[in-house]
Amino acid sequence: MNLRGGWELIKKSYLGWMASRGFFWTLTFGWMVPSLLYLFVWVAVAGQGQIQGSTRDDFIVYYLCLIMLNQFTYPVCNWTVGDSIRMGRLSDWLLRPLPVMFEAIASDIAMKMVCTPFAVTVTVVLAFFLRPAVHFSPQSVLFFLLAFLLAQVLRFLMAYTLALLALWNSRADALLDLNDSLVFLLAGQVAPIALLPGALRALAAVLPYRYMLGFPIELLIGRLSTTEIWQGFAWQCAWVIGVLFLYRFVWKHGLRHYTSVGG
Amino acid sequence: MTEPHILVRSLSKTYHVPERKEGLLAAMESLVHRRYRDVKAVNDVSFCIEQGEMVGFIGPNGAGKTTIMKVLAGLLYPTSGEVRVEGFVPWERKTEYLRSISMIMANKNRLAWENTTLDSFKVLAAIYRMSHAEFRSVLDELIDLLEIEQLLHKLVRNLSLGERMRCELAAAMLHRPRVLFLDEPTLGLDVSMQLRLRHFLAEYNRRVGATMILTSHYMADVTTLCSRVILIDQGKLLYDGDLTGLAERMAPFKLIRLSVDDSQGQSMREIEGAVLSAKYQVTIIDRADRRLTLRVEKARAAAILTHVLGELPVVDISVEDPPIEAVIDQVYREGVWL
Repeated sequence: MNLRGGWELIKKSYLGWMASRGFFWTLTFGWMVPSLLYLFVWVAVAGQGQIQGSTRDDFIVYYLCLIMLNQFTYPVCNWTVGDSIRMGRLSDWLLRPLPVMFEAIASDIAMKMVCTPFAVTVTVVLAFFLRPAVHFSPQSVLFFLLAFLLAQVLRFLMAYTLALLALWNSRADALLDLNDSLVFLLAGQVAPIALLPGALRALAAVLPYRYMLGFPIELLIGRLSTTEIWQGFAWQCAWVIGVLFLYRFVWKHGLRHYTSVGG
Repeated sequence: MTEPHILVRSLSKTYHVPERKEGLLAAMESLVHRRYRDVKAVNDVSFCIEQGEMVGFIGPNGAGKTTIMKVLAGLLYPTSGEVRVEGFVPWERKTEYLRSISMIMANKNRLAWENTTLDSFKVLAAIYRMSHAEFRSVLDELIDLLEIEQLLHKLVRNLSLGERMRCELAAAMLHRPRVLFLDEPTLGLDVSMQLRLRHFLAEYNRRVGATMILTSHYMADVTTLCSRVILIDQGKLLYDGDLTGLAERMAPFKLIRLSVDDSQGQSMREIEGAVLSAKYQVTIIDRADRRLTLRVEKARAAAILTHVLGELPVVDISVEDPPIEAVIDQVYREGVWL
């Protein structure tokens, strides 16, 4: 594996993104706004009482973690890969002795390097003013880190695979928008999964979206039983493997189609 | 017997393209019932190219040149046929193969727009696993050949077209490819820049012994760089050989340039009438002042020359083969009649 090549791609993308950092910080803030809105809604609803066992502080911790996690796991390949296929830049990637996915991974990492300082600053400022009581056990942190890693892989692979559908019809934007909407609804952004209505909660438990955002945070704040933890990890791993197979299928056949119609 | 550096045998490529009639109704109909048409871009093409050869692909727009080049570079799957470059099947895109080739396509950037030229080169050096010493040595050579020292620390987006093309060429050559596919490398460049790039390509070929395939609508690119040309039209290979042979086969005519004495008071109309009264077919392709350029059948040139000398007060006359540019131009405009 050419790690040096991958690292240079990250540096290249980072320098490129940094040249437009104002744009990307605005974009980052845009990603935060829905979570911020729901943070204030749930804090207002909870008041000094509880909603299904969750207090004002629980909602603040949940949404501040969600803002950070959403930032860390948001896949920029949502737009970079589809655009590259449509604009014909994929041909250039195909001519290089490096897996094409490296370019998308490098863009993703570079974007996180550009946006993270901004996201951390906003979150710290919010935490300073809202002052929630926070307590994470070492075991919760450990589980969170593992689930975060898997969430990152799952969210990236899902977006990358959907973006690759542009190999057939050159426009995968609508599908990516739909995917983002489902993440918004079923990953725990509108409300923590436990507060969703029965049918929606059941659906969220089996679809991949909860395992991209909500599940790692639920682990961190220590609200899950041992059985729920292992069930959650089982679903998360199953989705990572499933989407990996889907990616391999889409890439193999998509590339064949792309290289049959003119590149 | 060793295999040629590039082997193409019975290559065909058919595109399956959607089509519809004009208008809103047809557009709506195509939503439920899409029609397709098969376009045969390459039709049973075979050729071999040896190591170090510089070959020009020529032919009108849509002839199939770029399609063949994309198949050779591994960007397209062929419909049928056998292709091997350096012993590799291109569309398998093996890492070793990709490290040995490079392709330059007009108006396509491999340099990162927001980075400096040198940063972009360093990314490529890492991708092609070049050591620092190797990178420095090749870069110094390219700086020397392409005169890009002043451009290394400029942002790519701030380069002029000519500067960017020189840097794109350097980027394409950085890993010292043994096979180069050049699709319109001088498109949009001014004459001086075209000359420099041609010089660079010839020098690179001499130093590295790289095999090069070139398409260009500037015939000077082909005539300067390529001793061999492959003529393609409507997906078929029509000629494979040297330029002189092509001119012989495609242009069975000569050009007669003559100047007429104006002291005898003949009008240009009368002069042209006298020229055209020859019993053989003569085409006047240029007229200026009291000079005419005639296109005549090669076999009849001597007879027409005698006729013209007998009928007109000629003060100067010359008989020439048509320039290759004119031959190719004729082929592109009037079709191929080999």
